[in-house]
Amino acid sequence: MATVGDVLEWTRKQVVSRVPKADLDQRDPDYIRDQLPATWLLASLYFRADVAGLDRIPAEGPVLLVGNHSGGNVPPDTFVFTLAFCSYFGVERPFYQLAHNLVVSAPPLGWLRKFGTVAANHENAQLALASGAALLVYPGGDYEVFRPSWERHKVDFGGRMGYVRLARDAGVQIVPVASVGGQESALFLNRGQWLAKLLMADKLLRLKSIPISLALPWGLNISDLAGHIPLPSKIAIEVQEPIDVDRDDQAVHDKVMASLQDGVDRLAAKRRFPVIG
Amino acid sequence: MRVERRCVINADRDAVWKIVGDPDQYPSFMTNLERWETANDQPPGVGARYTVHWKIGSVPVGGLIEVVEFDENRDVAWVGITGVTLRGRIRLRDGGEGQTKVTFRLSYQAPGGIFGYIADRIAVRQVGRTVADTLKSLKRLAES
Repeated sequence: MATVGDVLEWTRKQVVSRVPKADLDQRDPDYIRDQLPATWLLASLYFRADVAGLDRIPAEGPVLLVGNHSGGNVPPDTFVFTLAFCSYFGVERPFYQLAHNLVVSAPPLGWLRKFGTVAANHENAQLALASGAALLVYPGGDYEVFRPSWERHKVDFGGRMGYVRLARDAGVQIVPVASVGGQESALFLNRGQWLAKLLMADKLLRLKSIPISLALPWGLNISDLAGHIPLPSKIAIEVQEPIDVDRDDQAVHDKVMASLQDGVDRLAAKRRFPVIG
Repeated sequence: MRVERRCVINADRDAVWKIVGDPDQYPSFMTNLERWETANDQPPGVGARYTVHWKIGSVPVGGLIEVVEFDENRDVAWVGITGVTLRGRIRLRDGGEGQTKVTFRLSYQAPGGIFGYIADRIAVRQVGRTVADTLKSLKRLAES
């Protein structure tokens, strides 16, 4: 007779076995090039996106791009920035993005791997930077992306700063990428960390949150696992000045957070209305 | 898509060519130019490469271009090597006394099938305005 523990262990193994191994070769520049026009249409017409400061990213070589994350499981900031990076530097420049295990292992999202999306773990991140690529990470991850909408202009990594060690080990600069607008694409009410603990999703699926939001087309949206239709919120992104990793982790982390929060505050000050921008 | 705009500048061809034939001056008259960088060691002329981006819609659009025609006082033409498929030409011809007729053409085609076609159609108005404003700036610069 299988115990609850056996079932949970089986479930954990099923999820873990589906997480793709570190394989940077799945990125396909031709595929990305073909997708850019559709992405451009969505970014330009639906999200009326504006991306500034791309010239602050080192023109070549590995670099760690660190962003604040917004928009639940359908984060517009990621695809808008990916479009901007690929347009500016060309699809030929290797560029990877770290994403949650559930995102990269979901069969309907397999195409993301062709964009250079790999599972968020230290091994993949190191491999990407060692290969000379630019790497986009969102240290706040599922914690930050489900913050309540009234905290939309607050950068909150939940104390995570492993990215500093990653940059130090790889010997690369950190370039903060500030964005606003994503958290207005739905009304996020609660992170639901209590719900994740209650359902043991934090242990089984590395899900620290089972968020509660009001979103299209569901109305009340629990977990956002099936995604949602984002409101056409204006997305504004500003790349900040590069930061050298030349001090202890906490000092560098504080500098990155200050840079991101300054950028977000600047972008937020230009907004007159939620969603409309 | 192909966009073409023309203007007549009240300056002779030598004066206009001094600007058009010097890629270092392009950022001073090209509208919506987000990036213009020399990409190889070639002097201005055939084979010189530049990284060029115009802000079209939400993001900078462009890529690496190479000059394929550099006919003094007449034509400068380039093709895109990376990014969207692109051909561009600035053409100088005699106008009236002390005048130069300038034609600026941009042909481009986004990849991606039907979405590329739709993106081209939607972008064409902004590209047209960019080309027209560029000629106005060139006229101001050459006549100043």
